[in-house]
Amino acid sequence: MNQIEIDDLNKHYGAYHALRDINLKIPAGSFVALIGPSGCGKSTLLRTIAGLEKFTGGTLRIAGEVMNTRPPRERDVAMVFQSYALYPHMDVERNMTYSLRLKRRPREEILERAKSAANTLGLTALLSRKPRELSGGQRQRVAMGRAIVRNPKVFLFDEPLSNLDAELRVRMRGEIRRLHERLGATSVYVTHDQIEAMTMADYVVVLRAGRIEQQGAPLDLYDRPANRFVAGFIGSPSMNFLPARVAEDGRTAILGEADGQRIDLGREVEPGREILVGMRPEHLQIRPASDATGLQATVELLESTGSMTFMEARLAGAPITVSQAGRMAAARGEPVRLQIDPENLRLFDPATEAAI
Amino acid sequence: MTAFFRTFREGSGFDAVLILCAVAYLLVFSAFPLVYNVIMSFQSVDMFSITDFNRPWVGWQNYIDVINRPEAWLIVKNTAIFVLLSIVFQLGLGFGLALLFQQDFPAATFLRGLFLAGWIMPGLVVGTVWKWIFAGDFGVLNYVLNHLGIVTGKIFWLSDPAYSLYAVIIANIWLGIPFNMILLSVGLAAIPRDIYEAAELDGATAFQRFFSMTLPMMRATLGAVVSLGVILTLQQFDLIAGLTKGGPANSSNVAQYWSWQLSFETYEISAGSVIAVMMIAVVIVVATIYVRSTTNEQSA
Repeated sequence: MNQIEIDDLNKHYGAYHALRDINLKIPAGSFVALIGPSGCGKSTLLRTIAGLEKFTGGTLRIAGEVMNTRPPRERDVAMVFQSYALYPHMDVERNMTYSLRLKRRPREEILERAKSAANTLGLTALLSRKPRELSGGQRQRVAMGRAIVRNPKVFLFDEPLSNLDAELRVRMRGEIRRLHERLGATSVYVTHDQIEAMTMADYVVVLRAGRIEQQGAPLDLYDRPANRFVAGFIGSPSMNFLPARVAEDGRTAILGEADGQRIDLGREVEPGREILVGMRPEHLQIRPASDATGLQATVELLESTGSMTFMEARLAGAPITVSQAGRMAAARGEPVRLQIDPENLRLFDPATEAAI
Repeated sequence: MTAFFRTFREGSGFDAVLILCAVAYLLVFSAFPLVYNVIMSFQSVDMFSITDFNRPWVGWQNYIDVINRPEAWLIVKNTAIFVLLSIVFQLGLGFGLALLFQQDFPAATFLRGLFLAGWIMPGLVVGTVWKWIFAGDFGVLNYVLNHLGIVTGKIFWLSDPAYSLYAVIIANIWLGIPFNMILLSVGLAAIPRDIYEAAELDGATAFQRFFSMTLPMMRATLGAVVSLGVILTLQQFDLIAGLTKGGPANSSNVAQYWSWQLSFETYEISAGSVIAVMMIAVVIVVATIYVRSTTNEQSA
């Protein structure tokens, strides 16, 4: 069953078209990430689901019910805000139980649910603190607790981790994911961090300029990007794109213009066609310059993090990035050979940017 | 000597000069008049002894005299009503308007700005304008009330002892609303919008959001506005001078105006000082409550 169903949703701010023909089905119990560069409409879409934004056309269903004009409080969704939006004049317990008190639940039940949420999130010792007496990470937990206590149909997360430091962010990533599994809830998670989306979600929706560019399982997006934008957005470091022309034989392409290096495409493409060859940095293998095969490139910069090494190189006149586990023995200005399995090449049309 | 000047360049001497300037100003223009006034309230001061500091000391006698005057309790009662009603309505209407202009509608900011126009007018001018509005025979207020069928016949707002105090209060409420509205608008603007959104998602209606979010978060601002309102209302002088001059028969007289009448119309300067001292005491109490409430807010 789909917990959220969005059909042909459109939103205009005056002349600005903020969301265009959004179609999205979110099955109950799934964890969906909305991802895209800033201004792509991901937060707007989330706030539209919450009811904080109105939309101009289309249908939004939550648990089968049409929600188009229902106010937020009738939608049974909980949201964790980027700013946490805790009530500053209430202590942690009252922050978490505000919704229950509004519903006039019995006192024992409120206390019970507050305790259990606090237990889950490790907030038991902080129940009588005010938000200003908490650290960023603790506030984040209270914001989560406020959502959990309600046991809502849908959890909405609006970049909840972006105000935390890197270490805490990684820890909370796992915690949110585990919590999601334990509660069996449906979650929609907005982020601009593709690592967060890839690691946490079981379904990723990539947005750009108010439009869904592609949706699917994280590894599907990584393996089979529908267009150049998704290919460049998913994966870190980003995919390299090199302009090329398909040779007469239809199975190889000539990179650049002057250089004329040939690359095996591993499949048939219309001869003479202009294409963009996409190569992920992690798919390129570095070989010594003395090797007979492989693309010839020149090393420009090496960055090592210890476990990983990133190489900036020049190939057919264009800058490319190569990443490799471990160390590499190369020096700036040295020639190297780069090899890539034709299986791992992604081809795009330079005009439409769609995958070929 | 050079060392002396160096302290100025390096800052610590300059800091001392700044402090001295502020303290000197306070001493000359605040502390001295205040203390002098308190001393006068314990002395017998009349037209002949006013220039001489060495006046007979009478202790609490001035206070006893003032309290025992026949008009004293009427004026205390009037002052209490004047302050209470002014504050309640200025705050209520000002808060209402602040909430109204907090909504997003065309020209909201511009219209809010226009409201300040009333507040920048001198009290004496406002008094004169309201005097025309309140006029018994030809006043526009009576005209409107009659035509709406709310009252029949004329109300002599300024000359009927039953109405005069309320006429002054109405004019004072009008004068004070913009001030209240602006201060409360600032307080409202400081509440983050996403807190309301979170409350909305938690299931709160507009009404519940007002009582559980807006009001508690406006506590400090409301305290400040009420305290300032009490102080400003106790200072309101020119409006009364422009409207009723406390009359008829003290029916619209309030403490601050009475103090002025005693000191500068009948030259009972000791009695005027007594009232001023008692009013200062009230203001200090109000200010203390306000400061207490805001510091509790921060440390809680």
